[in-house]
Amino acid sequence: MAFVLWAVATILFLIFRLMPGNPLAAYIDPTFTEEQQAALIARFGLDKSLFEQYLLYLWNLMQGQLGDSFFYRQPVGSLILQVLPNTLVLALGSLIVAYIIGVIAGAYLAWKRGTWIEGLGIPVVLTTRAAPEFWVGMVLLAVFSFSFGWFPAGGASSPGAEFDGYLDLYLSWDFLSHLFLPALTLAIYFHGLPLLLMRSNMLDVMNEDFVTMARIKGLSEFSVVVRHGARNALLPVMTSFAFAVGYQMQGSVVVETVFSWPGLGRMLVGAVSAGDYALAQGAFLLIAAVVVVMNLVADLLYGVLDPRVSHA
Amino acid sequence: MWKQLATGSAVALMAATAGGPALAAGDEIREIRLLSRPQAAQPQEFQFVQLIAQEWRRLGLEVEVDIMPWEQMADLVWYNRDAWDVTAWQMVGRPERSDPDELIYNLFHSSTAPAGYNFIGYSNPELDAVVEAQRVETDQDARQALIHQAQAILSADQPNLMLVHPRSTYAFNASVWNPETVIDQSGIGIKNVWTFIGAEPAGDQRDMVLNSADTVQGINPLWISGATDSWITELVWDRLLRIGPDGLPQPWAAESYAWLDETTVEVVLRSGMAWHDGQPMTVEDVKFSFEAPMGEEVPMYAPFVGNIAEIELVDDTTIRFHLAEPSAAFLTATLAKVNLIPQHIWDPVLTDLATRPENAEDHQEEVPIGSGPFRFVSWRINEEVVLEANADHFSPPLMDRWILRIIPNQEAALGMLRSGALNFLSDYSGDPTVLEGLAGELAEIELASTTDIGFRYVAFNNRRPPFNDPAFRNALSRAVNRDLIVGAAFRGFAVPSNSVISPALGFWHNEAIDGLETGPDVAQSLLEEAGYEVIGGRLHYPEGISEALSE
Repeated sequence: MAFVLWAVATILFLIFRLMPGNPLAAYIDPTFTEEQQAALIARFGLDKSLFEQYLLYLWNLMQGQLGDSFFYRQPVGSLILQVLPNTLVLALGSLIVAYIIGVIAGAYLAWKRGTWIEGLGIPVVLTTRAAPEFWVGMVLLAVFSFSFGWFPAGGASSPGAEFDGYLDLYLSWDFLSHLFLPALTLAIYFHGLPLLLMRSNMLDVMNEDFVTMARIKGLSEFSVVVRHGARNALLPVMTSFAFAVGYQMQGSVVVETVFSWPGLGRMLVGAVSAGDYALAQGAFLLIAAVVVVMNLVADLLYGVLDPRVSHA
Repeated sequence: MWKQLATGSAVALMAATAGGPALAAGDEIREIRLLSRPQAAQPQEFQFVQLIAQEWRRLGLEVEVDIMPWEQMADLVWYNRDAWDVTAWQMVGRPERSDPDELIYNLFHSSTAPAGYNFIGYSNPELDAVVEAQRVETDQDARQALIHQAQAILSADQPNLMLVHPRSTYAFNASVWNPETVIDQSGIGIKNVWTFIGAEPAGDQRDMVLNSADTVQGINPLWISGATDSWITELVWDRLLRIGPDGLPQPWAAESYAWLDETTVEVVLRSGMAWHDGQPMTVEDVKFSFEAPMGEEVPMYAPFVGNIAEIELVDDTTIRFHLAEPSAAFLTATLAKVNLIPQHIWDPVLTDLATRPENAEDHQEEVPIGSGPFRFVSWRINEEVVLEANADHFSPPLMDRWILRIIPNQEAALGMLRSGALNFLSDYSGDPTVLEGLAGELAEIELASTTDIGFRYVAFNNRRPPFNDPAFRNALSRAVNRDLIVGAAFRGFAVPSNSVISPALGFWHNEAIDGLETGPDVAQSLLEEAGYEVIGGRLHYPEGISEALSE
């Protein structure tokens, strides 16, 4: 795991330095003097050789230092921590909704295999799954915010609202009403994967001997489908959830932009386009770490949910 | 470069005298690369660059439009000054640019060519002399004549192809803000400190909610960061003078100011001023504010105090600035630019920073303390900044709070203006006709558009042939019909330009050079006069000049 992170850190370091452009571009101004340029370059260590910069970068990383953002002139760690909770809430909220809907609907569609419900359901799922997020987002905005005025059109809270810490903010009605549309957009985008996964697993499981056995025992259809079928079909869906959480740490750039959501995705895009190596590297590294950890969690989870895996 | 050209012509001359076939023209001009930013980022620029390339191709030039993001373009143009031909560029309007010095000097004086803003490498001793003279001319009318003269020289030389001054368009909700009290600052628009102080609530809504598409980088009186950040620093911190709605400096934290002689300015500080933490503001604080940038820790403000030789405290309210040399722009570029900061807060910070590699730009105060008309309340990154009215200020705002929302989605910003979630549209880069439509549909939405101090232009690399020839630059510039650009790329929301000093700065702008005659015929005859020739559809250098830069 340490090796994976080292590899990621190295690749990130190289990618941002090989990118065309110059991080000082943001400072160009008629009153920008040569001395100021030299001072800035020295301030960010850009006057050192690439190899020296790399060693310094690794050394700082080992001490838990992600460096200072060129753009915000603040430590990368504290910048990321300011927006990460917003991204987490949005990602987790939408994923949980998507997985609950996906699992139930997937099991239901598998049960209704061959009926008109499946004939209608599958194309609907595929269409919403394929619709671009920004489009879904703009449609939801136009309908529920601009036309009906039920939900606010952007941000994570009302203008000038004050809260005592994250818990107070996240449990407030104001925050939840701001969360609703972006979370719905993401849930619409995400729900296809768990749904289709659940459905195909269910179809497999329903042909297994133990299901036939359950039927022979004369159990009710509900008991057969839910307690015997769905429970076993759920395993791979749970692992995919762990992966999805990992991948969603990066935030959804598109949805965050459409809904002016103050999350990590927007900060990352800003950092990349401003040539802010330090912030972009730090953020990507953090995401990579979360993905690696969530992979581990998925593996461990599998062992708990299905004892056969750990015995093997 | 000149040497190469001279050698080239000498060789050609020898060839001609040696009895070979007489050359009717020089070499074919190489393919010209015109730089632009991507359509998604800069739709107007992308559009006008295409139109300009088209016009130039008609003259017999091969033009390739090279699209690249800003970081890459800035790197090429700024740090590789010999490696490009022509580029689209822009200057944005800021209150301090109401004084012509910053633009007319820094963009064209030969001293800024190696590493400063004269990245085009323009060099003209006559212009150097004039812009130096205006800098030290403290008589306003004499200075005006010099500024006009400089503009005339630039018009004759066309170091850049000046294109347009955009008309920035903003909007506000007139049922929330009394339109009489929304002030249009010359060249800046309605989004200015005078509006923010003077805007009178028309109803119960006493918070101004405005928008910016760009994120806030920092709230720091010693760091010149993003454009949006400067809206905030102007409100939280006071300055001795402020640029008034007419574009000229007027007393602010200074009760009065006077030139005692050519190099001495005496300022009387307003009495009873206090910092947001309750401490009184003293003349020592003022002295400290101007001395702080003289050290190593405040690099971006250092150029503005470089001309101060000494700051003398005459008594408890009077400060004298002794200058190293006379400076006409001192009032605007220094007294109206440097933020007044509390010594009791910044002195320990700067002392500590002196021992570390960081400087004042890296220091973000938890709660920024100024003395300005607004107090800092909160800042949530990428989301909003909240300021509240400082009732103890000598010019207290009429609104309760000033709430800046960061909204990257233009359509959402429009939707919020419509729904009332925003009541002041302070940033809009979308299609102005859409905004016009909204204002036509809803009676309470009022539109305000202003000719900008800033401008859009196409910069020629004056170092590289053929752009080192003023006749060639003139022809290329005159090939472009500015009215067409205004209509096609800016939908009418711009005015044609031939000067870096915008018509919005009525006192400084030279009207005599407006209305440059353009058209393909004008351009072609200029080229013919200068000896350029079209052979086989391609433009060739005048006789004897060879292409030194063909790839």
